Amino acid sequence: MSDNNRVAAVGVGYSTTGRRTGLTSRQLAVQAAMAAMTDAGMTPQDIDGATMLWAVAGAAPPGLDVVDSMDIAYMLGIGPLNFWNSGAGPAYIGPAVQAVAAIKAGLCHTVLSMRVIRQRLTTAEMLAQDTDANPEYADDDRQFVMPFGSVAPLQAIAAMPAQRHMDLYGTTEEHFGRHVVAQREWASHNPDALFRTPLTLDDYFASRYISKPVRLLDCDYPVDSASAIIYTTEERARNFAKKPIFVESTAFSSVKYATFENLDDIYENSPVHCAKTLWSRTDLKPKDVDCVQLYDGFTIIVFQWLEALGFCGRGEVGPFVAEGHTAMGGSLPLNTDGGACNVGRRHGANFCIESIRQLRGGESGVRQVPDAKVALWANAVGPFSGAMLMTSE
Amino acid sequence: MTSKAAIYPPLPLPNEMTQFFWDGCQARKLMILRCKGCGRYIHYPRPVCNGCLSTDLAPAEVSGEATLYGYTVAMQAFHPYFADKLPYTLALVELVEQAGLRLTTNIVDVPEAELTTGMPVRLVWREVAPDLVLPMFTKAAS
Ligand SMILES: [Zn+2]
Repeated sequence: MSDNNRVAAVGVGYSTTGRRTGLTSRQLAVQAAMAAMTDAGMTPQDIDGATMLWAVAGAAPPGLDVVDSMDIAYMLGIGPLNFWNSGAGPAYIGPAVQAVAAIKAGLCHTVLSMRVIRQRLTTAEMLAQDTDANPEYADDDRQFVMPFGSVAPLQAIAAMPAQRHMDLYGTTEEHFGRHVVAQREWASHNPDALFRTPLTLDDYFASRYISKPVRLLDCDYPVDSASAIIYTTEERARNFAKKPIFVESTAFSSVKYATFENLDDIYENSPVHCAKTLWSRTDLKPKDVDCVQLYDGFTIIVFQWLEALGFCGRGEVGPFVAEGHTAMGGSLPLNTDGGACNVGRRHGANFCIESIRQLRGGESGVRQVPDAKVALWANAVGPFSGAMLMTSE
Repeated sequence: MTSKAAIYPPLPLPNEMTQFFWDGCQARKLMILRCKGCGRYIHYPRPVCNGCLSTDLAPAEVSGEATLYGYTVAMQAFHPYFADKLPYTLALVELVEQAGLRLTTNIVDVPEAELTTGMPVRLVWREVAPDLVLPMFTKAAS
């Protein structure tokens, strides 16, 4: 894309991240927003747009405060806003695409885009509920799935597609394990990661099943966290502290309805549509990508994206990963911050921030991909998804 | 994780578009919304046919013959009802009436080692809790 109307990312930041941090949503949001403004060398007066997704992925513990984009602007003295949106999903790609689109459309020039996520109820908390005294009712489309025990997202999002991939393409549990081990190796070198102890394949096989073939180590780690990325116009981008990183191409997709249970095959779901659109909007090809950051809510999601984006052939992702391509030193460095399994469920924003840091260069220590110029990150899966290709030039 | 076994799973909350499905379950008839214009089945129920855009739709009984499209053996409960039901097989079956017409269900009375994507299955009814009858599937006689 060689137009002079490009959008650039100029600031990134995280809040304190961990299990039940004791911080409110507002406190988390303020921490991340201030970190991103500091990173960019920017003041609130430089910002005229705000996009955000606040949501718990799953059942919410009682008593959480909700923060929205108008409120974050109010708290930080940003405004008046020329563009804002709250509740843009799925995951961080929602607020990101909205920020880029609003700037490209000329509705605003600089957008603070955020994902604030709170840890869901733990399984123990869910099981402790007296559901006979207070029955759980499944409304809308959920009435067709929850009575059968499809009550945790991973069962439909991950377990059934993973089992189908195994049955149809010969993918094995060892293939999944190789990914988990490789990803943890990246995390072991990331000071921001919550899990840094290297894993072996034996550790993977010792990890208990949640819903076959998905094991505990295939799942990301629910946390309280806020993340912020600031986008601006190419014209303004060079006024700030850090090297601007440009949005080369982006795509946003939905297929069918917003439930995971009754989707069509992996190869007809939104990542496939999203990837086609993404590549149609750039002259770059998969071989031009220096590092790739793919949503790892569950291992099979990463596998779906690797195939959808054309980094390997249909049904070939298991051997591709097992051959070491995505590990440190491999041909396609993948989830170079360790992924959400290891840095915590920052719900997609970490993939954007890690892409930006890799393309800036010099911020990732031994994880730095040499001479990285093109990064691709993707969020979500199934009925909805989005992806973004970013470049340093 | 200890909790007393619950009597009820998450309970369906029918609305005016879906009441027929649950009435059908009570009568042990599997009913799917069908377009009177083009014959297309619509599941989950919607007020319009996404094939021909007709709004003239009515429930129709289906045969209960299907193939296993996807499945997982659940090893952890996320709701008290399932705590003493583990392991159970959650599945997606494709009804023979129409390509892509699928139901979420459970596979019952099939050993895990015999589960295979694509296997023929047939409808069986199970009363899982007082007044809650669910359509489940088992291995079809070959
Ligand atoms: Zn029709």
